[in-house]
Amino acid sequence: MSVIELKNINKYFGSGISKVHVLHDVNFSANRGELILVVGPSGSGKSTFLTIAGGLQTPTSGEVIVEGKPIAQLSTAQRDKLRLNQIGFVLQSYSLVPYLKVKEQFTFVNKVKRQGNLNEAELAGLLKQLGIEQLTNKFPGELSGGQTQRVAIARALFANPDIVLADEPTAALDSARVAEVGKLFKELAETRDKAVVVVTHDTRLMQFADKAYRIMDGKMTETSVTKAAAE
Amino acid sequence: MYLALKEIRHEKLRYGLIISMIVLIAYLIFILTGLAFGLAGENTQAIDSWDAKSIVLNKDSNINLSQSVITSDQAKNAKLTSKQAVIGSTPVVAKDKKRAKVSATFIGAKRNQFVLKDLKVSSGRKARSSHEVVVDQKFKDEGYRLGDKITLNSSNDSYQIVGFTKNAKINISPIIYGTVSTWQSLRGMMNVKVVGSAIVSKTAKYHAKNSHLKTYSISSFISKLPGYSAQNTTFGFMIGFLMIISLIIIAVFLYILTMQALPIYAVLRAQGIPARTLVATVTSQSLILMVAGLVIGAALTAATASIIPIGVPMSFNIPVLTWISIGLLIMGFIGSAIPAQKIATVDPVKVIGG
Ligand SMILES: Nc1ncnc2c1ncn2[C@@H]1O[C@H](COP(=O)(O)OP(=O)(O)OP(=O)(O)O)[C@@H](O)[C@H]1O
Ligand SMILES: [Mg+2]
Repeated sequence: MSVIELKNINKYFGSGISKVHVLHDVNFSANRGELILVVGPSGSGKSTFLTIAGGLQTPTSGEVIVEGKPIAQLSTAQRDKLRLNQIGFVLQSYSLVPYLKVKEQFTFVNKVKRQGNLNEAELAGLLKQLGIEQLTNKFPGELSGGQTQRVAIARALFANPDIVLADEPTAALDSARVAEVGKLFKELAETRDKAVVVVTHDTRLMQFADKAYRIMDGKMTETSVTKAAAE
Repeated sequence: MYLALKEIRHEKLRYGLIISMIVLIAYLIFILTGLAFGLAGENTQAIDSWDAKSIVLNKDSNINLSQSVITSDQAKNAKLTSKQAVIGSTPVVAKDKKRAKVSATFIGAKRNQFVLKDLKVSSGRKARSSHEVVVDQKFKDEGYRLGDKITLNSSNDSYQIVGFTKNAKINISPIIYGTVSTWQSLRGMMNVKVVGSAIVSKTAKYHAKNSHLKTYSISSFISKLPGYSAQNTTFGFMIGFLMIISLIIIAVFLYILTMQALPIYAVLRAQGIPARTLVATVTSQSLILMVAGLVIGAALTAATASIIPIGVPMSFNIPVLTWISIGLLIMGFIGSAIPAQKIATVDPVKVIGG
């Protein structure tokens, strides 16, 4: 069963003559253990798709189903809970609280979400897997772009969500780092049994994906992984 | 609370600056309140010490004790019990060859009535004859000693200081307690049949039964003391404005800091951190800043109070200062309302959209 599913999603912004149709009948599903890529150019609707999938915006029509439950039926508080417990966001920037040391980012999550987070040993394992175990006493301002991104990934995984949604996680990284993050997402999806959804315009990530979608002017089509990578 | 404290610790300079502003404001408010109460006290100390509820004055005196004269004729039907006392009041200049002149208020009263009967001397003793007086502590501060003989105005009669009493000031002027007949001669009314300037009563509903005399409550009498109301209104306004300034400072600073941090709050909202937690962060920051400012301000005030010269009237009324502190805390709370509202309504999509 898919852990997250979008059915016939349409999203319009504005009204009257300024009305824009940003997502057209989008269908999407993701399973645990998979790295799913959504690739498209700037303005194609990737972020809109991701925020709808994460319950941050409501679609004009269509259904978002997380673990079998349509999220349209949830209250604001329940949606907060869903994002706290089942969804981990990794964003291009601002993902970390600037005045918390790396280890305190996790302490803070523990304070807000008291159960179901990784325990100390698991966190140590995760930090090791990400290669950031030495950075726990640093503030985000003291980290490089790649280190920041990996800490943000750790932050998202710490709450042990079923789904990880990442928006342009490689935007600030060079090619070598891109490959590293791609591998890492793939590995995290497999070893930790998560559905990892990455939206990006960066086709270099294609080779690591289990499944890929192409989004163009708000229309989403599934595409073969190898074909996309070849472009 | 966790985020609130961590942020303050990380941004020591910023928050240190805000706290120092609040310290200055709190300090200023505390000192002004101290002065307001000190001055108010020097206006009313003596009246408070009599513990009277009402006062009978000549109705043409414009509720001014020194202008009021009650004639024997007017007081004919007034029944005096142990709860009433006659006083005669007049401004005087007291001098002694060896000492500085002191502007004072002479209060003549009767030894068998409560004003003099209940008078507490802090050193020396009470007067036994009409040429003995008990004077306010201020005279001691000015160098006068027990046994000194003072003359009043341009009269040649001298009066020996036999006792000092504390808290005997009326309208910021130190009191010389003597007899009604001395008052009469100071007013040049030896040949007029007068009783005094006023009858003070420990009961609220006392009537002197004469159409020329009117009973006023002590509070309305006090509010008519020259300058008293104006002074209090001035202080009240200053304190009120400082409160509002503190509100503006905290609101503006928190607003700026919050607006800068809004993307972070947006991401935290996206990550499912409840808006309540984030609103609590800014609210508790505001309260932490206020409490820190108040504590340091209070410490500075206490330090100031301990080194203040005797002449400066300052009196720290703990309940009032507590209320003012609570008021400032409420200001902090209100000041965090706008930033809190910004946080509560932040749209994560705006930040993620990039
Ligand atoms: N709140 C909004 N109101 C109006 N139009 C919007 C709004 N949000 C997005 N759009 C429009 O929807 C389209 C898709 O935006 P979206 O942010 O999803 O693109 P994207 O694929 O993430 O682009 P990028 O790669 O540049 O981040 C754009 O044309 C954008 O202008
Ligand atoms: Mg985008």
